[in-house]
Amino acid sequence: MIKKLTILLLIGFLILQFFGPELPEVINKNPKDLITNNPDIPEDIKTILQVSCYDCHSNETTYPWYSNIAPVSFLVARDINHARDDLNFSNWEDMNKLDKASALDEITDVIIDDEMPMAIYTAMHRGASLSDQQKELLVSWTEEFSDQMFD
Amino acid sequence: MKLQITMKNLSLLLSITLSVIILMSFTNKNKAVKTYELSEVNYTVPNDVQEIINNSCYGCHNSDSKSKKGKMKLNFDKMSTMKVGKRVGKLNKIHGVVEENDMPPKKFLKKYPEKALNEEDSKKLASWAIEMASQYINE
Repeated sequence: MIKKLTILLLIGFLILQFFGPELPEVINKNPKDLITNNPDIPEDIKTILQVSCYDCHSNETTYPWYSNIAPVSFLVARDINHARDDLNFSNWEDMNKLDKASALDEITDVIIDDEMPMAIYTAMHRGASLSDQQKELLVSWTEEFSDQMFD
Repeated sequence: MKLQITMKNLSLLLSITLSVIILMSFTNKNKAVKTYELSEVNYTVPNDVQEIINNSCYGCHNSDSKSKKGKMKLNFDKMSTMKVGKRVGKLNKIHGVVEENDMPPKKFLKKYPEKALNEEDSKKLASWAIEMASQYINE
């Protein structure tokens, strides 16, 4: 009985591989990108954004090997699609000033609230966790950067 | 360490697969992109808008709020003193959540239906917020 079930599940797992989702596309040249268009952003902020945010919130995703294996692939595809939908730094300059201000304010909120980077992401990408100092840096940068737009 | 194909491993795999399938439902929201002209730069709340805020928003979005999250995301007591960039961000968000009927939260309204925004109030509040935010745009 157990043997039968085991074989059945294994077959199911293998079949599932054929129905895996297509992972969101990786585009490395993004002319509307936040960092590309704002060379004055401090280096430490650029690093934080690239290491802790850009994998999901930009078109420049680096996929780990396991992201191709179902059922993990479903989660990865879903999370990245959702993330890019909410805020995609690769399309930053397509936003109007009001939406940029709201996005920056939202960044503050999710950082203070420890919602981002997501725990499931930092569990697999240890280096993406933000120290308290990095959080403070990022939050004060978002406020400054937002204010600069309305000088 | 050898990974053994055991009943436990496989049922784990199956439960992961199942949870993923359950988690597959998702929603997409589109944000409208609009631009506005500059008029005067200030922050004012007309009486009729203040009344709407007092009835439907201020209960959670104030300095003494019991809702930690509500207070953190938006505190009307701080609106007049915060930096312009931040205020614009907040105002634009107010416009968004009111237009989308995301606020006040549905769960909250089940308990306090009298706090709901009617269509007229919704419109008034949303247009006040977007007008307040837009006056900071000078291009």
